[in-house]
Amino acid sequence: MKGKFNVLFYNVGAVAVGLIISASMLLFMRINPLTVGGEAIRKIFMDHYTTGEILVKATPLIFTSLAFAFTYKANLFNIGAQGQFYAGSIAAVSLSLLLGESLPTALVILIVLIGSFAAGAAVGGLIGLAKAKFHANEFLVSMMSTYIVKALMDYLLRTGLQETKAEYLQTNAISINAYLPNIVPGTRIHLGFALAIVTAILVWVLLYKTPLGFRIRAVGYNRNASELGGIRSGKIYVISFFIAGGLAGMAGLTEVNGVQHMLLQDFNSSIGSFGIGIAILANGNPIGCIFASILFGFLNVMGTTMGRLPGLSIPASIIDLIEGIVMICVIASYFVRRAVQNNIEKKHVKKAGV
Amino acid sequence: MMSTPLFLGALAEVYAERTGMMVCAIEGIFLVGAWGGFIGTYITSSLWIGLLLAMVFGMAMAAIYGVVTVYMKQQQVVTGTALNILAAGICAYFQRVLFGVPTTPLQIDTLPKVAIPILSQIPYIGPIFFCQNILTYLAYVLIPLAGFVLFKTSLGLTLRSTGENPEAVDVAGINVNRIRFFTVLVAGAISGLAGSFYTVGYLGMFTTGIIGGRGWIAFAICFLGNWNPKGVVFGTLAFGFADAIAIYIQSVSGSTIFPNELVIALPYILTIVLTISRKNFNVPAKLGVPYTKES
Repeated sequence: MKGKFNVLFYNVGAVAVGLIISASMLLFMRINPLTVGGEAIRKIFMDHYTTGEILVKATPLIFTSLAFAFTYKANLFNIGAQGQFYAGSIAAVSLSLLLGESLPTALVILIVLIGSFAAGAAVGGLIGLAKAKFHANEFLVSMMSTYIVKALMDYLLRTGLQETKAEYLQTNAISINAYLPNIVPGTRIHLGFALAIVTAILVWVLLYKTPLGFRIRAVGYNRNASELGGIRSGKIYVISFFIAGGLAGMAGLTEVNGVQHMLLQDFNSSIGSFGIGIAILANGNPIGCIFASILFGFLNVMGTTMGRLPGLSIPASIIDLIEGIVMICVIASYFVRRAVQNNIEKKHVKKAGV
Repeated sequence: MMSTPLFLGALAEVYAERTGMMVCAIEGIFLVGAWGGFIGTYITSSLWIGLLLAMVFGMAMAAIYGVVTVYMKQQQVVTGTALNILAAGICAYFQRVLFGVPTTPLQIDTLPKVAIPILSQIPYIGPIFFCQNILTYLAYVLIPLAGFVLFKTSLGLTLRSTGENPEAVDVAGINVNRIRFFTVLVAGAISGLAGSFYTVGYLGMFTTGIIGGRGWIAFAICFLGNWNPKGVVFGTLAFGFADAIAIYIQSVSGSTIFPNELVIALPYILTIVLTISRKNFNVPAKLGVPYTKES
């Protein structure tokens, strides 16, 4: 338990350092970061709608970070969550457009949930298969798959799925019947957020309390040893990529049916890479992913709010800057923590020696 | 010749990966290189300063990457992802800080094309290969040089051994981490130049989406080229060929009926197919594994 607390302490410290560094970047625009930051925070919490946006933005990030964290436990790198998310979104919007009018809401949502999971899982499963059967580098294949799925999505948006007006590269809006119901009035927080939390808990249970989770983690720790123990690592690769892909695909449901109510070109184009950062911040822990996602959601809203403050013209790209710096600081903090612990241990050893 | 940055980037990757370092930040290094080349040229109106700045920026990113992965021994993939996000943020943010929101896109002059006497007069081949800008010629020089350095010199032997058996290198009294760090720096400089090709050498302007995954393609070419400068040549030409076909198909059929998205996706599909089909990979044994000295 003490170890966990320790990680948390260093992570919080790293985030704080990262924020201070990024805040000082505002000085280049001759803006006082303290007043602007204070102003933005006041704006965010004065207004319930904007406060709610934090959780709205956090929802898909929980899924994409889980998608990275899940394979990370098997010592695999799934950096294609963006593509799996797009696959899920395509499935979600197609199913919602097809069935949205005719079936009751609960049934539509359930079908879309399964559909988007399956679509993401199909993409993920193929990556896992390439890794297991052909020893392909999963990192490279998952990266490339994102671009392929994105091209597929652009194609569909231009042809089969394009809106009836055929003006923009987007689909028709889905029927209100297929919307994820709002759970906090006055904000845009929708059922997807609750779903994300439940999913994260389920993933935790799966990883730490079931035989399958044990096998996945065993392969992650030491592949050869677990092979000797009778675990077929190839099968584990496919399964963990399949589930990870499905998790990223579910973000398609929450974004299409919960927020945008349609599919657009270049839709949420950075949640995949942020997911990786969040999973690292959470040290791959599914429950930690929830909190880290909320933090990133907050940073995101903070960035846009600062951008909207009158007369300052702070670019929205500052979000990338902040998140990049925070991520580097968190990664560095793992090193610092290790170094400090080593030092303490060495001292213990010395004392014992005397 | 659009393959130049891929040549250079893949070559930088070959050097680094031979010592056991995947430079997963290559997409970000391309981007800062492109941006460095652009602002250097725009502010001083000297292309040379632009290229220099591209190298410096590339090396700066590589230095962060090197410190975190070599000395702090953190995951290379993860660090690379963080740096790619950071690069996008830095370029977009400081572009805004420096230039505000311009009403017309900022333009710079691109590198002039230099025709090499005699060689450029060879029919067909001449104009294609010997009427290019300086970065392309640099690629011509660096590729055989890399083959020579890696396989014919003692430095090359050290570099390759660092990726295969760092313990042996360490026992021979060579500092493994220092070798890795400096190789990453060199790779950063080359990749920065590669990135600057898109602004300084080709488009004459900068947008944050200018690289659009081409850094990853260079990364992929290094894998497909079997960590060998010769393989890099074939890999890059294969990609260049796919690109050319794509442009040709688009120009012939128009973009309405034929899915030109398929054409856009072609290089990525090709990468996956080749990754799956290649069997005899010669992966450096310690690729991606940090080196810790036994104490």
